[in-house]
Amino acid sequence: MALGSLHLNGISWSVFRLGETAWLLQPKVSEKILEHVHSTSDLLEQSKIDGLQDIIPAYDSITLIYDSQFKYDPDILSDISSSTEQHLSREKNIFEINVCYELGIDWNEVEVKTGLSKEEVISIHSIQNYTLAMMGFMPGFIFLDGLDQRIAVSRKEKPRIKVPSGSVGIGGNQTGIYSLESPGGWQIIGRTTESFFDVKKTPPTELKAGDKIRFKPISNEEFDKVVAKNG
Amino acid sequence: MGKLAVIDGGLFTTVQDEGRFGFRKYGVPVSGVMDNSAFELVNSLVGNAPDTPVLEMTLKGGRYRFESDSVIAFAGANMNPTVNEKSVELNSTLKISAGDILEFEYARRGCRCYLGIRGVWEIEKILGSYSTYNEGNFGGIEGRNLQKGDQLHWKEIQADFQSYTLSQKEIPYYSSKLTVEFIPGPEWNWLSKKEQDKFLSTEFKISSESNRMGIRLNSDFQIEAKSKEMVSSGVIPGIIQLPPNGSPILLMKDGQTVGGYPRIGKVLDIHLNRVAQVPPNGTIRFKKSD
Repeated sequence: MALGSLHLNGISWSVFRLGETAWLLQPKVSEKILEHVHSTSDLLEQSKIDGLQDIIPAYDSITLIYDSQFKYDPDILSDISSSTEQHLSREKNIFEINVCYELGIDWNEVEVKTGLSKEEVISIHSIQNYTLAMMGFMPGFIFLDGLDQRIAVSRKEKPRIKVPSGSVGIGGNQTGIYSLESPGGWQIIGRTTESFFDVKKTPPTELKAGDKIRFKPISNEEFDKVVAKNG
Repeated sequence: MGKLAVIDGGLFTTVQDEGRFGFRKYGVPVSGVMDNSAFELVNSLVGNAPDTPVLEMTLKGGRYRFESDSVIAFAGANMNPTVNEKSVELNSTLKISAGDILEFEYARRGCRCYLGIRGVWEIEKILGSYSTYNEGNFGGIEGRNLQKGDQLHWKEIQADFQSYTLSQKEIPYYSSKLTVEFIPGPEWNWLSKKEQDKFLSTEFKISSESNRMGIRLNSDFQIEAKSKEMVSSGVIPGIIQLPPNGSPILLMKDGQTVGGYPRIGKVLDIHLNRVAQVPPNGTIRFKKSD
């Protein structure tokens, strides 16, 4: 049940209460939902709103979490709106990511389920430009928007207990990267040479929701060379 | 320099503090203590800064040898604490000598006991927090629960401070049959009136598969939401998720940052402290907050 709506960054948003100090915003548009989520998240972040602790951009929503000292005040919504009047468009970063598709571990299942050969799947997967939709599920797990539906594959019947860091997977009509080793049920079709995520650094990754990502296929030899060089 | 050696880590003991904030957009959960009120109490009893970490012991505490004279306190679940096999009080500032052995047993009441030690703990902060996040293998001691052979070190604080003991009437009573209040969540109306009433009248049993990520709730009835398409969206500790199997999950401190199940409600933060003290097989009822 929506609390109401507000005008923010050029469009109208439904506002839901998620907790004592957390709100959920959903764009009331039918197109370019992700773009609105990303540009508005950036805008909110740059507005440096008092007490705003976390902003979680997701596919069709932005979650705002304030610190616990914050007292509920309905005016907060209009405050957000008035503090962020101008539309902001960010220069999107484009990252080219090396993937060794030879290191995929679910090729048999992927070939059977798509009816395509491994080479065809690789060519379809690596020709696309993807948008980093959001990170979540696990730290640094990267959800990418833009998978060609010809290579959509249902998740594994039984999730793996450990998926190696840097694994590139397909889960349903989504593709993504497991930055850290974690449990997971996606079909693994390759591995990247980097993990993109280091908890010893702040922020832990250069990547950000809204960034563009392209995959560049590399051979086993090139993979070994880069990994050895990175130590 | 203060020092403690772990002889036995107990069932599941981790270093925790207030939590890790500002990194949820990268998928990093907040983590931090499950029972915030017991955490605040132990740091106050030993005169520590409120952001000092503590040990959070779950169901069965461990066995520790102090290698230095120390000031300690514990609060939360009663795990029959003993020093050199003599019973000692919870909720009280305690002085302990080098060589003393501190031991905890199974929780008699409550689920989590917090051990505070006076001093500035020497643990590396990860993304602004000392908290252990086991699933991510980071924070605390090597991102895991305490094991035999681990050591904790801290800088001693020389300033004077006032020892005290909590009065009997201030000590919380941990019921294993709890009623908690919740705010209806964004998808509360995905439940029909009949399903909402069922949710409000059911006494849910806490499954033994519960952990710091979430409390899994079972009952004889399944709660059914309208089957609508839902994409992953933000969640926070205290959110009650309803997966298709009809058994709700109450997300806790290590819970993920986004989820794809209907969010039927959010348990009030002040009640989450009590939830953290209900052991497996305890029960929870939900009441809509005004």
